[in-house]
Amino acid sequence: MTILSGKDLNKEYVNRDRSVRPLQHVDFELNQGEILGIVGESGSGKSTLLKVISGIEKPDSGKLYHMGKEYTGQGPEKTGKFLQMIFQDAYGSFDPRMSMERSLKEGSDESREEILRVIGEVGLTEGLLGRRPRHLSGGQCQRMSIARALLSHAGVLLCDEITSALDVTTQAQVIKLLMEIRDKERISIVLVSHDLALVSMICDRIMVMKDGIVVDNGETAKVISEPSSDYTRKLLESVITV
Amino acid sequence: MKKKKAKLRKRVIIAVVFAAILVLIATFSGVLAPNDPYATNSELIRQAPSAAYLFGTDNLGRCVFSRVLIGARTTIASTFFLVAVSFLIGIVVGMLCGFYGGIVDDILMRIADLMLAFPQMVVAIAVAGILGGGLGGAMIALGITMWTSFARLARSHTLSIKNEPYITAARLQGKSGLQIMMTHIMPNILEPVLINALTQIGTTMIGISGLSFLGLGVVAPQAEWGSMISEARAYIQIAPWAVLFPAAATVITIVVFNYLGDAVMEYRNAE
Repeated sequence: MTILSGKDLNKEYVNRDRSVRPLQHVDFELNQGEILGIVGESGSGKSTLLKVISGIEKPDSGKLYHMGKEYTGQGPEKTGKFLQMIFQDAYGSFDPRMSMERSLKEGSDESREEILRVIGEVGLTEGLLGRRPRHLSGGQCQRMSIARALLSHAGVLLCDEITSALDVTTQAQVIKLLMEIRDKERISIVLVSHDLALVSMICDRIMVMKDGIVVDNGETAKVISEPSSDYTRKLLESVITV
Repeated sequence: MKKKKAKLRKRVIIAVVFAAILVLIATFSGVLAPNDPYATNSELIRQAPSAAYLFGTDNLGRCVFSRVLIGARTTIASTFFLVAVSFLIGIVVGMLCGFYGGIVDDILMRIADLMLAFPQMVVAIAVAGILGGGLGGAMIALGITMWTSFARLARSHTLSIKNEPYITAARLQGKSGLQIMMTHIMPNILEPVLINALTQIGTTMIGISGLSFLGLGVVAPQAEWGSMISEARAYIQIAPWAVLFPAAATVITIVVFNYLGDAVMEYRNAE
């Protein structure tokens, strides 16, 4: 079942005499319980696509649907009911002056017992709830972000380069956690990353973007074995070379 | 680094102690004043400082020491009130402009630019002249331009944090703009704006005393340092103490509050 989709999404930023089009006729579909990977180099439009999907930015044209119902133009105050975002900057995603418990409670009416259950589920302990973000490690902070998303009962997680600021061991732990959550809660995940190796390992489907255009889109195995664009081939070659 | 921070902390503590002493003196000036600051006595005109009249007497035989103490209340209280009101107006306007942007931002910031295009004292003299004498008029005259510095500072800090991921996260949690401003933006921009308020106390005090000195502030016989200096300068050569002590009180108070503002700012910068 398609939980989230976008049709013919376009976005253009005009700055004086220069214009950039990070999204050009982008279509996407996300099915329930699926992990969709979006890869591409810096400036390819993948983060802009997440901002548009989440309602942080409005598309210039095109439509967005949640469970078949259009939500184009709705801000994050409304889209937050069905999707949540995990940011690259885990520390920056929490108010530096608030304790973790206060941040987690902010968007949730859940009891303390439920909060404790969820932070246990993401591998954290009660003792961390009283701390401020700067007193947590990057991995702990990212797990707290995931806990916050789970507490909001959103069906979709938008993950924007969530492992790029973490060390290799922590990266693996966070990815494993995401997979577990997906399996257990049947949550759909959009994973934006420049790391094709990581995306090809955990995603059900892959979308490859270049200069705002989707150049490849399909089942992970198919995109990896039969890339339809030169750009994807080059990306794959670079992974193999490394 | 630790040594430097300890030194700066010590500076803050010293400044706070001195500022607190001044505030306490102003608060309890009614009790501390040995004589009635408004009682005139033709037999005590322009008496030099003595044990009975520590700072001497003025042209109407009033106790200068008692008037300096009562004047502290007028000067310090009016300064604090004006800074507090300007701070509140400025922080609210700055947050609204920075967070929402658009036409409201354009209009309010152009008004602020207009206010800042003229020297503050020139605008204050013009406005106070239109409003007539009185402490209220002087405060309005100074406040018209004062809120702009707080608004600009609050706006720039709001702009710098409004796109932080935690603000986006709060929006995704369903928080409204007002809730975000109260819960996330205000607490995070409060400190730099508050430090600016501390550094403004000295300038405001000069402004209020300056307008009173020019006859555009406090009206006689109310005791206020600027008006006391203005009154006594006519006979400065025969009773210099009537000018010297209120002037010294003004200078000391301004130095203490400027020192407090600078000390707090340096300490926070070091942190």
